[in-house]
Amino acid sequence: MIKFAVPAIITRRVVTALVVAFGSGVVFMLMLIEFDHLTSTEEFCTTCHSMELTASPYRESSHFMPTSGVRATCGDCHVSEGVLSATLDHIMGTKDLFKQLFGPDYDNPVVSSLHLPDAAFSARQWFRDRDSATCSRCHVREAIAGSRADTAKIHLEDAEGKSCIDCHINLVHRKVPGKETFKRDAWNRMIEEEFGLEPGMADKILKGEVEPPEITAEVN
Amino acid sequence: MKTGSVTGKGSTDLLNLFLAICLLMFSTQLHAAQVEVDPSNWGLEAGKECVKCHSKTSAGLAEQWRQSKHAEIGMNCLDCHQADASDVDAIQHEGFTIATIVSPKDCGRCHVVEAEQNSTSVHANAVSLITNRMPAMANNLAGQAIIDAGCAQCHGSEVKVKGDGSLDTATWPNSGIGRINPDGSKGSCSSCHGRHAFSKAQARDPSSCMRCHSGPDSPDRAIYEASKHGMAYFAHKDKMNLDADSWVAGKDYVSAPTCVTCHMGAAGKLPSNHDVGMRNAWNLNTPVSEQQYLVIFEDGDKAEIPASQPVPDSGTEYTKIDGTQGTVKVVVTPDRRRQAMRMVCLECHGKNFATSFMDQFDSVVELYNEKFGKPAQSIMIDLYDKGLLTPAPFDEPVEFTYWELWHDEGARARHGAAMASPNHTWWEGLYLVSRNFYAKFLPQVRAVAGDEADALISRYVTDVKEHHGWLDNPQKGSPILGYGTRKTGDD
Repeated sequence: MIKFAVPAIITRRVVTALVVAFGSGVVFMLMLIEFDHLTSTEEFCTTCHSMELTASPYRESSHFMPTSGVRATCGDCHVSEGVLSATLDHIMGTKDLFKQLFGPDYDNPVVSSLHLPDAAFSARQWFRDRDSATCSRCHVREAIAGSRADTAKIHLEDAEGKSCIDCHINLVHRKVPGKETFKRDAWNRMIEEEFGLEPGMADKILKGEVEPPEITAEVN
Repeated sequence: MKTGSVTGKGSTDLLNLFLAICLLMFSTQLHAAQVEVDPSNWGLEAGKECVKCHSKTSAGLAEQWRQSKHAEIGMNCLDCHQADASDVDAIQHEGFTIATIVSPKDCGRCHVVEAEQNSTSVHANAVSLITNRMPAMANNLAGQAIIDAGCAQCHGSEVKVKGDGSLDTATWPNSGIGRINPDGSKGSCSSCHGRHAFSKAQARDPSSCMRCHSGPDSPDRAIYEASKHGMAYFAHKDKMNLDADSWVAGKDYVSAPTCVTCHMGAAGKLPSNHDVGMRNAWNLNTPVSEQQYLVIFEDGDKAEIPASQPVPDSGTEYTKIDGTQGTVKVVVTPDRRRQAMRMVCLECHGKNFATSFMDQFDSVVELYNEKFGKPAQSIMIDLYDKGLLTPAPFDEPVEFTYWELWHDEGARARHGAAMASPNHTWWEGLYLVSRNFYAKFLPQVRAVAGDEADALISRYVTDVKEHHGWLDNPQKGSPILGYGTRKTGDD
């Protein structure tokens, strides 16, 4: 009978420690997966009231109520695929939580509307940096047929070298112009008109010079 | 009425001098202006990307462009739609910075002469011209939705760009001829040169004018169709050479004049001009017609002055259409304007024929003025002065009656005579004015004025024997028309 010499270092304690560590690792990863899933849901995201303002137009978009019944929730678009990337995205996302807690009053619809363009620009950049990876979770370029003539052809011939986000913006949330042509002044005037504010108020609110008016958000 | 400073009558030399002045006055070149911009200025490489996709997304639009002169010379979407990111209406579209609206300023990058001529025209000022009339008509009788989809679709909207970069749907789409564009320019070339073919032929065809010049406000569609000119046009449209680069009446086509021919086209030595109102001696869309002087300001802007008002001297200040002040460069008399219009006639008609036709036209305008326009206006003014009517328009039935008398019916009679439709001059025009005046307007005035009615009506109507003396003979029957007692007939 051949006896394998077990190195002296592998003691019963070490084995136990390894098994426990492995088990913990597995449990930890499973927890991360569950955590990412939980924190990618609409219910979770809209626990912050400010997010409810963003979600409201989403609920009228084709990503919420498509004819196919396939619904994309917040995380499907805004959180990367894969547990590590997803976790990283959530860690990066905590800066928004800090801003929510210590920054301007994003729950106020005026403040939210005034900051929306910057949020849109950074979200678009996020998509661009990842070559619209989260879009590709559901949409496959070769399979896009569309209901209009030539939609398929356009996606095969003319979308070459382009990323989804290059053409498809303003699909889900409130319309915000492209960053290059965005005019802060015009945006502020529009928001002032919308909420019946004096001209120039928006700029002062953004600078924190005046308190935004108390407006109860009308949320569906 | 004041007459022109130079009439030219009775002297050939004087006439020639006058015509020379006319030519200088009315334009800068003889034929449709050639684009003088170097072709290297168009055909942007990046624009070919637009074409690839839009041939699929909007195939009809792309095909129109493909068949156009623009495509033929190598222009593409981006040449016209390119924008600077700082432009008020610039948007980012599939990686390109563009603007939806191509304004006369954009077209004017190549079509310099046309854009400049149009910029000060009555067409370009179509919004300013009605701004003061709008509240009474549009707001009281209709509402904002009608202003957006009715008034502004011919006169033009003031296009509003919203803070999110989109064009306010109340103000766009709009191809009104005096549209105020986000870049500040006035007008819409595509109003006549419909996008995306921008066809010369389309703009020369009467149908492009008829889109707006039809109906009570400007009854020219029906009038032209019923005139000898319209008759000749529709019978010989295939000989009109509408697509030709050079389109001079009497040279490139002889079958018929279109709206463009008389109001802005080249004819013989008379050059074409994209300022459409310059050859109009009369204002035919007022309660009482007056001949009108054309004031040309130093900066090229223009204004009309009725002949009854003092005419400013060159170099003096005068109020523009938009209310601002400008320095007068020159004033063109109604006779000079008439002379320019008559040069078009002379390509096909004799001098006496043309002059006599205009005499007939002038006589109708004067008859309308004296018999109906002036008395009706005077009566209305007295009713307001005496407080028998409230100043607000359209809140009393007689105000509608008066409006239809001079505006709907009166304008139709006068336009009918101007453009030679006998039917519109009489049955659709002055007959309706007359019926309205005697059978509706005066009875309503009597009802409103009460005890004061007799004095009012005799002063302006029944005492004016030349026009209304027939009212003194109530016993004079006309059996052939079915009027009169049995005794006046055979038994």
